[in-house]
Amino acid sequence: MAALQTSAPPASGGSRARPRIGRTRTFGQRLRQDWPLLVLTLPALIQLAVFFYWPSAWNIIAFMDYSPYRPFWDNPFVGFAWFERLFSDPYFLPALGNTLKFALAQLLFVFPLSICLALLMHSIVSTKIRSTFQSIVYLPYFFSWVLVVTVFIQMLGSDGLVSNWMLGFGGDRLSFTTDGNTFVFLAWMQWTWKDAGWGMIIFLAALASINPSLYEAAAVDGASRWKRLWHITLPGIRPVIVLLLILQLGGILTVGFEQYQLQREAVGYQATEVLDTFVYYRSIIGSQGESFGTAAGLFKGVIGLILILIANNVAHRLGEQGIYQKS
Amino acid sequence: MATPSRRSPFRRRSLFQAAGLGAAGAAGLPLISACGDIESGGGSAQVTEGFDFLPTYKEWPLPVEPDLIGEPPHHPSGFTSYPEPVQAVTDLPSGSGTYEFTIPMWGEAPSKDDPYYAAVHEAWGGTVINIRHADGNTFADTSAQWLQANEFGDGIQMFSWMLYAHPNFRETVVNTFYDLTDLLSGDIADRWPLLAGRETAAWGKSVWSTDPEDPESARIFGIPGSISGGPGNGMYARTDLLEAAGLAMPTSVEELLDVAREWSDDAAGQWAFFGTDWFTPAWFGLASGEGWVWDEEQDKLIHNCERPEYTEWLEFRRTLHDEKLQHPDAASGTLEPKDLFTAGTILFHQDGITYWSDFTNQVKGGEAEGTIAPIGAIAANGRTPLVHAVNDVEGWVFLSKDLEQEQVEEILDVANFCSAPYGTKEFELLEYGVEGEHFNYGDDGTPVYTELGTSIVQAPVNFKTFSGRVQTFLTGQPDFVQDRFEYNATMKDYIETNIWEGMRVEAPADSVAADQARQDQENDIAYGRAELSEIPSMVETFLKNGGEAAREHFTAAYKALHGK
Repeated sequence: MAALQTSAPPASGGSRARPRIGRTRTFGQRLRQDWPLLVLTLPALIQLAVFFYWPSAWNIIAFMDYSPYRPFWDNPFVGFAWFERLFSDPYFLPALGNTLKFALAQLLFVFPLSICLALLMHSIVSTKIRSTFQSIVYLPYFFSWVLVVTVFIQMLGSDGLVSNWMLGFGGDRLSFTTDGNTFVFLAWMQWTWKDAGWGMIIFLAALASINPSLYEAAAVDGASRWKRLWHITLPGIRPVIVLLLILQLGGILTVGFEQYQLQREAVGYQATEVLDTFVYYRSIIGSQGESFGTAAGLFKGVIGLILILIANNVAHRLGEQGIYQKS
Repeated sequence: MATPSRRSPFRRRSLFQAAGLGAAGAAGLPLISACGDIESGGGSAQVTEGFDFLPTYKEWPLPVEPDLIGEPPHHPSGFTSYPEPVQAVTDLPSGSGTYEFTIPMWGEAPSKDDPYYAAVHEAWGGTVINIRHADGNTFADTSAQWLQANEFGDGIQMFSWMLYAHPNFRETVVNTFYDLTDLLSGDIADRWPLLAGRETAAWGKSVWSTDPEDPESARIFGIPGSISGGPGNGMYARTDLLEAAGLAMPTSVEELLDVAREWSDDAAGQWAFFGTDWFTPAWFGLASGEGWVWDEEQDKLIHNCERPEYTEWLEFRRTLHDEKLQHPDAASGTLEPKDLFTAGTILFHQDGITYWSDFTNQVKGGEAEGTIAPIGAIAANGRTPLVHAVNDVEGWVFLSKDLEQEQVEEILDVANFCSAPYGTKEFELLEYGVEGEHFNYGDDGTPVYTELGTSIVQAPVNFKTFSGRVQTFLTGQPDFVQDRFEYNATMKDYIETNIWEGMRVEAPADSVAADQARQDQENDIAYGRAELSEIPSMVETFLKNGGEAAREHFTAAYKALHGK
């Protein structure tokens, strides 16, 4: 590290000044030292600039009466007029309410399920059973929402397999694939089937990082299975749970699009309208244009950012690492 | 990870303050929002006749006259025999360009390597036009994005009904597509005799104004498709199933309900109806298009939803649901009603008028069984029937404004070829393909598609609709032509008067959004998710959120058009 320190030359004659240690390097020195690292980061920076920062800069059209056919700066600035239109739209608040409802349901009933599945999988000793179980649980994640919705209608629809089977036994047809009142239950079943298996992957990775000798020591000390789970497993994966929880809170207003859009006809718009479908039907189908959609997107982004920061702050206060290391 | 800067408003200790500021900002936005007015999305109105710059009409004599003489446009003439085709384009141009066009299609996209394409390319002089087929079900919505991103190749075909999905289509047209006026204005019969033989009205309907405030800025921007008349859609009945059940074709809505009750059997998995949303309003006298009618008594435009017939119509749809007369999964949007209709699971099916010939061809090709016919002009409560009809260009081919003039002329050569009418070799090639591969002559001399011909030529949208024909007729299988001719004859007296003839009106954006919500609520009522008693509040919401603004806009256009 000697090269990083410079000493002032001794003053000529008389008194000797104390050597001053300079700890900061000039920009040029740092560039010469670090340029290979900077070159390595360049592709990622370009990718971020092109696909994230440049599109993000276009959020400015939320404050313009934008038309793609005008030179950009010829689009008049309209201040918050689009936001005013957004907040005064009679369908905006119901869509926001539905979004929060589905986000909460995902958070409360799917997120813990992924943890449970991971714990269950972790406890299976037989490799054969474990890989079979893993495949069955993972596979639906790779199905498109079109396929998932179609499978549910074919199975549980009013003219589906179960309905016809029940009809054969003198029962009545199921109607909950077309019932708006029970849509959140239907959506939960679909999330569970499609997403819960995928959600457990990260938790499995976290479980794998727990030192097995802790379990052995606990077992020797007479800890029961439940006590090992409570005192070793859950504390071991707690940072990951908190991290994912915070990230999920950030995306609370982004609950998906296809699942709701595909079932809109079946159960009605009042049950399925979330912010993303609202933007689609207002901005694209409803001809409100790009500025309206961008204003809605910006609103979602700002709320997401605020939630992430609040959740992260709470995590820090509770002694967790959160999404970044507390200083 | 990095620690937030101390100067950052989002450093740890100020997080809650920041969140509070955000919430207060969101709540206070309306107070500080009045810094400008939104002017876009106000709708537009475009006159489509009376121009002096259109191509000069020069009659292109037909090689053969139809044997069934109707009363065009709503009762078109037809051919029940197939004539020996003649060559229409005798002075074949030589083209060397290669172009790509985006064209909608429904069903499975055909192979691009089929000899059909090579044959038509060669026949019209060598110009290669590759078709980029895109899903017709989503074409209207997604094309709005392609056009704004200028990602549609060298041209795009759009059906006129697709314009509803485009916010401010006038602005899109004049900024995206090639202005054809200088090439097509005046006498074009020397180079493009078939295009010169097109109706002046078709060219008029292809005009948009570059400046919405200035009618003098009107220009031709599209190659118009055929102008067709008569009913554009039908509610088809499986007549073989009706006959087997000893039931007659209904002649009123009340009879239709009786037939539906008689035939439907929920436990046995058969229901009279599937979709009833867009075809059945006519049975209750409701207007087509945007749904506005001029009420002479009130001297104002009235929307469908403000009329008592609207409630009757929703009651009818609700009855189908409540009495299990329609497929229980009709609302799901995931089932294919054509398949259910072919399978005999449903008795009635709403579809475009071309479905009649498609089904007939499928039966002849052995792909389906049964017979179908559209229900005639019917009404409820003893009223005089109303029939929604088309009398417009079916669509346009728009060319990219990035093309050079020579390239546009070469594509117009192709359009001229594609305008050849029935009785020409060009028509035969475009409509039926190559003899022996895509069709064979039947016993009566009429071309019959082979299986390959059905999938490559007959089913998909392709060059058959690239440019409108000089004249259009009912053509095809003789018995089918006869049936459709007679059907049109029974319908023509009930055709709805188009109060917007001579003008193209785009609704304001707010009303389009409000209308979408209203249609969603219609379905809620029809499928039992909302009660009929909610109709008045639903109408009030529609009028408040865009309906009244739309009334103002359409009233101004109506008065300008009718000189009121």
